[in-house]
Amino acid sequence: MKERLIFFIGVVVAVTIVLLAAGCSATSNVAANRSGAQLWGENCVRCHNAPTPATLSDWEWEVAVSHMRLRANLTELESEKIVEFLKSVN
Amino acid sequence: MKRILQYIFFIMLISASTVSFGQEEKSDEIKNLSDKISYIMPGNSKFLLRGYAHSGLEYVPDSKMTFVGGAFNPLFIYRQSDRLLFEAELETSFEEDKFDVGLEYANMSYIITKTMTLRLGKIFVPFGIFVDRLHPAWINKFPNTPLGFGHDGVLPGTDLGIEIRGGAYAGNLKYNYSFYVVNGPQLNTGEDHADDAGKLDYGIAFDNGFNKSFGTRIGLLPFSNSSLEVGFSAMIGNVGARGTEYEKVGSQLYAVDLTYVKTLNFMQSMLDVRAQASWVNVDDADYPVPDDPGQVYTFTNKSNTFFGQVSIRPAYVSAKFIKNLEFAVRYSDLNTPEGAMWETNTERWDYSLNYWIDWRTVIKFSYQSQSGGDHNEDAGEDAAGSGNAFFLHWAIGF
Ligand code: HEC
Repeated sequence: MKERLIFFIGVVVAVTIVLLAAGCSATSNVAANRSGAQLWGENCVRCHNAPTPATLSDWEWEVAVSHMRLRANLTELESEKIVEFLKSVN
Repeated sequence: MKRILQYIFFIMLISASTVSFGQEEKSDEIKNLSDKISYIMPGNSKFLLRGYAHSGLEYVPDSKMTFVGGAFNPLFIYRQSDRLLFEAELETSFEEDKFDVGLEYANMSYIITKTMTLRLGKIFVPFGIFVDRLHPAWINKFPNTPLGFGHDGVLPGTDLGIEIRGGAYAGNLKYNYSFYVVNGPQLNTGEDHADDAGKLDYGIAFDNGFNKSFGTRIGLLPFSNSSLEVGFSAMIGNVGARGTEYEKVGSQLYAVDLTYVKTLNFMQSMLDVRAQASWVNVDDADYPVPDDPGQVYTFTNKSNTFFGQVSIRPAYVSAKFIKNLEFAVRYSDLNTPEGAMWETNTERWDYSLNYWIDWRTVIKFSYQSQSGGDHNEDAGEDAAGSGNAFFLHWAIGF
């Protein structure tokens, strides 16, 4: 029971920190200062090999990156920049 | 002179008419092309059919050599608008002597804000990193799951529920989060298989009471290049069926995970490190002793499992053959409760030499060495129990 209590408090503290932090800033210079190519090179290799831009057509990339935005928890700005990059070099 | 002027005028007339005729021809051509393009261009609702497939050859010295797998997992992605997405994946395979179909996941996501998405349906439980990020055969660097995962593991896979997830920045610190409510695991009381008493059963399509499981995963990416991610997961909920003596039995699951993916310039290589430690605690309960209905037994129901893997791929050297090679090693262990009928302390090392034909097609030459576990099912879906085994495994994502 004690363990459960500690666990519960831990979760509440974590939630509070995250919500506070989310309230502070939704975007940051980190993503704003990076190019789509750089964001692709850094983010799209975190789970699998870097996806080759030539794999998909423009509209297919829109669908696949929307899918990956959710899987990888990317922000709107990051996924928009990555899609633009993929569409420009595929 | 008049003649000449008439002649020039005549020529101009002819050339003007041919130009305009040419223009008409061009604009017809453009119209034709744009008709053709709009004929094949999707509307606002866009649909992608992707997925993956895999199979392989397994060799267990002194025991068997057999082709295994034969799995094909179609993935359907519908992007209904900028905000609405539906994803569903089927799991089809050829097992024993029959064709098997399962629903891996099927859920709808609605993007609420730039940094927050609501997800409803059958989802991967975001507990640690293996299940929702690494398990597809073209992503997993090994032919099998680490100990503790898979259909007979001790950790959650998919479940029905609601999730809020997203990624955002706190200053320059990037983080991602997930909070969810799912039906949750159910306590196996040994009714069907006495040997399984005290285990948690996952992914059951209905809940056995009103108590849901609540969970969260918070991931922190301390470096601006996103190379490192450390995640903390927790899930809590009652697991006993309503109206039974097990109603109050609760479960608490925790995990810590790590991902580090980095280009090593001095080695012209890509380094990939991943690890996850998980703890599964279930409140004590009494289970009937098999073949002696009046008697009960109990044990401290705590399990833990760990995996750590490192892989290196010389992706930036010029030799084509070498740049497609990857070497991966993984350690995993599983410790289940002392006194349980499913007690085990198993350790496994997996080594794999992979050849990447493209970014999502791979051939894996793998070796596993396992000690401790005599329960085949404890070792995960594809494992070969205690001892050594060799695998030749191929996977393709599309
Ligand atoms: C958090 C881990 C993760 C990250 C980061 C990630 N992917 Fe994926 N990706 C996956 C998984 C898992 C799948 C397999 C999906 C399945 O079969 O369920 C996948 C599949 C894909 C596919 C196949 C089609 C599809 O949509 O499933 C493409 C294309 C793809 N990823 C591109 C990308 C791109 C581009 C990025 C960078 C924005 C990216 N991925 C980042 C995990 C990730």
